[in-house]
Amino acid sequence: MKQKIGVYICQCGSNISDYVNVEEVAAQAEKIEGVALAKTTMFACADSTQKEIEEDIKSRQLDAIVVASCSPKLHLFTFRNVAIRAGLNPFNYVQVNVREQCSWAHSNNPKQATEKAIHLVIAGIERVKHSKALPAIKISADNAVLVVGAGVSGMRAAIELAKMGTEVVLIEKNHFVGGRVSQWNKLFITDETGQEVVARLYQEVKNHNKIKLFTGTELISKSGGVGNFDIQIQFTPRYVLTTCKPDWEKIQKAISLCPIEVDDDFNFGLTKRKAIYKNFPSELPHIPAIDIVNCNKCGECVKVCEEVDLEQQVEKLNFRVGAILLTTGADSYEPKKGEFAYQEIDNVITLQQFKRLIEISGKELLYHGKKIRNIAFIYCVGSRQQDGENKYCSRYCCTSVIHSAILVKEKYEGIFNFHFTRGVRTYGKQEILYNKAAKQGDIFLQSFEDSPTEVTSENGKTIVKINDILTANMEIEVEADLVVLVTGMVPRENTAISSLLKIPIGRDKFYNEVHPKLRPVETVIDGILIAGTCQSPKTIMESVNSALSAAAKANSLLRTGEIELEPTLAVIDKETCDWCDACAAVCPYDAIEKSEVNGKFVAQIAKANCKGCGMCLPVCPVNAIQLDGYTDVEMEGMISALVS
Amino acid sequence: MATINPGFATELKKYGALDFNKCYNCGNCTAVCSLSTGDNSFPREMIRFSVLGLEREIQKSTTPWLCYYCGECSATCPQQTDPGELMMSLRRYLTSKYDWTGLGAKLYTSKLWEFGTIAFLALVVLFLFVFFHGPMTNELTADGGVMLNTFAPWQQIEIGDLLMGGFLAFFLMSNIFNMYLKIIGSQKDLKIPFKLYFSEFWKLIVHFGTQREFSKCDTKLEQKKPALNTYWVVHWFLMSSYVIMFVMIVAFLGWFQTDNIYAWFHPQRILGYYATVGLTIGIVYFFVQRIKKSAQKSKHSHVTDWTFLVLLFLTTISGILVHVFRLNGMPQPTYYMYVFHLMALVPMLMIEVPFSKWSHLAYRPFAIYFNKIIVAAKKSK
Repeated sequence: MKQKIGVYICQCGSNISDYVNVEEVAAQAEKIEGVALAKTTMFACADSTQKEIEEDIKSRQLDAIVVASCSPKLHLFTFRNVAIRAGLNPFNYVQVNVREQCSWAHSNNPKQATEKAIHLVIAGIERVKHSKALPAIKISADNAVLVVGAGVSGMRAAIELAKMGTEVVLIEKNHFVGGRVSQWNKLFITDETGQEVVARLYQEVKNHNKIKLFTGTELISKSGGVGNFDIQIQFTPRYVLTTCKPDWEKIQKAISLCPIEVDDDFNFGLTKRKAIYKNFPSELPHIPAIDIVNCNKCGECVKVCEEVDLEQQVEKLNFRVGAILLTTGADSYEPKKGEFAYQEIDNVITLQQFKRLIEISGKELLYHGKKIRNIAFIYCVGSRQQDGENKYCSRYCCTSVIHSAILVKEKYEGIFNFHFTRGVRTYGKQEILYNKAAKQGDIFLQSFEDSPTEVTSENGKTIVKINDILTANMEIEVEADLVVLVTGMVPRENTAISSLLKIPIGRDKFYNEVHPKLRPVETVIDGILIAGTCQSPKTIMESVNSALSAAAKANSLLRTGEIELEPTLAVIDKETCDWCDACAAVCPYDAIEKSEVNGKFVAQIAKANCKGCGMCLPVCPVNAIQLDGYTDVEMEGMISALVS
Repeated sequence: MATINPGFATELKKYGALDFNKCYNCGNCTAVCSLSTGDNSFPREMIRFSVLGLEREIQKSTTPWLCYYCGECSATCPQQTDPGELMMSLRRYLTSKYDWTGLGAKLYTSKLWEFGTIAFLALVVLFLFVFFHGPMTNELTADGGVMLNTFAPWQQIEIGDLLMGGFLAFFLMSNIFNMYLKIIGSQKDLKIPFKLYFSEFWKLIVHFGTQREFSKCDTKLEQKKPALNTYWVVHWFLMSSYVIMFVMIVAFLGWFQTDNIYAWFHPQRILGYYATVGLTIGIVYFFVQRIKKSAQKSKHSHVTDWTFLVLLFLTTISGILVHVFRLNGMPQPTYYMYVFHLMALVPMLMIEVPFSKWSHLAYRPFAIYFNKIIVAAKKSK
């Protein structure tokens, strides 16, 4: 019980004092037992006032303080620091909000505003009276990060983390690194190819001894919390010895002998590939892999390439890391059957297929044997849906499709591009591309959401129709040899990892950050960070930006080897507790574990995981849980002050 | 319903259009254009039709002829698409489309055709003179003038004149009829009362005679708005001179090409001088404009613009020299210059009047006339 409480009533210039009689509040506060002093002040947050409070604490030996001013969102930490500087525990400080909750809310009724302020201040005093000095909680942390996904974001983050001295475990589900970017040819604005970018990152990853890269690997379990995650990863074998020296001739022979043919995901089904495969010659690592699901183990490849080992087994490995960074990427939207005649008319493909088609086509641009001249691009397929689920803009597709339209025209003669848009969003530097496309003669048309472009087949011809708002809503049509649906990004179909780590999912089904502007790469789970397109559709530049940001955030969290936690945690009274599991069932953070104390099972709080949310408190049938900083005595004290 | 023709841009560029495909539909051109109204979006509608290659829409429109190229759209376009020059190119394009023979298109899009035709016609004239000219006498008339009608009797020249006049009239009229079919004939849903053709006819005469719309061209952006639009005045002076000269040569050659030297105030000489001065001033003015490139409308010159000016210049200067030589009793220079005069004059009239630039003298007032008819018909509906 605190005996010498200092109470400060702020006027906030006149923001508070115009409506709340601050002198009266101070006078009433002073009457409360245990209050040593009650003052009004022009600006409590002013440097001079902060000094004055510090002086008071020291000279009057105050054991707790209350500041009645604005919202704690604004100045909680300001006054906690005042307490710390004066040698007082910051949790012996309570802030009361008499500006937003009294003077601003009740400016039409100063009398009652004052009355409410008096009640709130007294409640604050009652709370602080029972406050405990909470010690800072520090836990040790491993300066190591698990990065999930070795695309450009994951690799770039891994390199940056390693450079800053953090150990990195970089895992990739596929047998090859690079993710989506390895599928793309020339990139805007440097004309470097996606494969080149990936190769550069891969070299850096391989050269860094702090990075352990595992391909064909997935995260299968996780326990512990920030600073000390115990993770288990599982390798799907490559069935080719990693000691295999890249002898492309031998590999090619093995591939040509393989009798199995399946749709090639890398080319979005445009081509077939064998069960032993490498998507392109320079793909990394330089070793082929065997797709064991489709392999019939005929052994043809073994005959020419002795490094093939069909006996390899699934393996597991355990690591301890301080943080986990997810760079798991996104999928491309797969149009529904019949959406803009997809899968109904033969020559309707997606943007991603089109990009691969340009790359794998030779001297002539052919699709199903037919020479392509007129290409119609239909924008915003699977994004900005009026009726569908995906309300968001996929950000990258306008730029990507226009860039592809330029590339295809550079590579092949006699191409005409028609863009059926819903408004072109080539923001920033990307506007250069739009200008270039318009100059090269690409034709842009635009329709409203409620009158979408139509794709029909008439006498074997594919006709694309639009009510073009740029031509006074005239119905305009063109015969297209190829219709490209400009499909955007959607969250990964595979939700294993998000359910394993309990990542919060946003309304758009992408991983959600804590705060889009202020904490854009952190999740509400301490130590789990997100970057790249698993968070939202992004361009490569934006993905790498977020990856670097997450790397810096992870390193700054772990580099000292110690993490300081907010001490407002749940506390179990081991005497009363009778382990019933109710609290563990509701805990959203996996912070409650069963443990044995003196021969009886009780709940135990994993401090690194507990966020002090209070969910466990009301479900405990024997009231064995208290939340530090919000204990029953504090809350009851406040309630009685408010109702008195 | 309209189908895109992506190859149209390439075709239109042969007629002098610039990077109009860069248009991003901001509408600045429409905002500054003094011709824009609520339902007529100058010049954006035409830009959009051109971008999409909607040739039928362009051919049934009178819009390009209503624009007199003040150039404000080009000056304010943030994408440098030069809408003014596009409208100019569309006028060239339309001229070649009204011409059902297809020769107009050839002359506009191929230098070989343009210069080949000029050379061919000039050689035909030369050939006729070489074989059929009269005696090149050195005798002079009583006034001391050259006996031009001995070398080139006007009665014979008149026959050629009338043949040529008939040829020009036939092709120009048939092209105007073709224009009528494209513009009014395409108004399938609009019933046009027959009397409108008469009640609106005076507008054709007025606009042909005054070129009034030209004077309305507002060049406030260039911040030199003279009290009287110089461009319009000079153009009108040139046009009237041309018409006077044309009528005197084709219809009244016997009165105009005389061996006697009349007093300076004789109508033959007064009219001749008026036309000569008008043509000279006009030619010099437009030459200077096109070389200086200071006004927006003179910044870009198609090869046919220069051909017309050069042929007109050669015709005028040789005509002046014929006159001077004849008056001063210089027989041989007179004869040679006369042949040269016709070698410039005949190709100019033959290619320019029905097939090329000159025809705008007819198409502009007719476009206004057709437009008034359509507007009046819509109103009466």
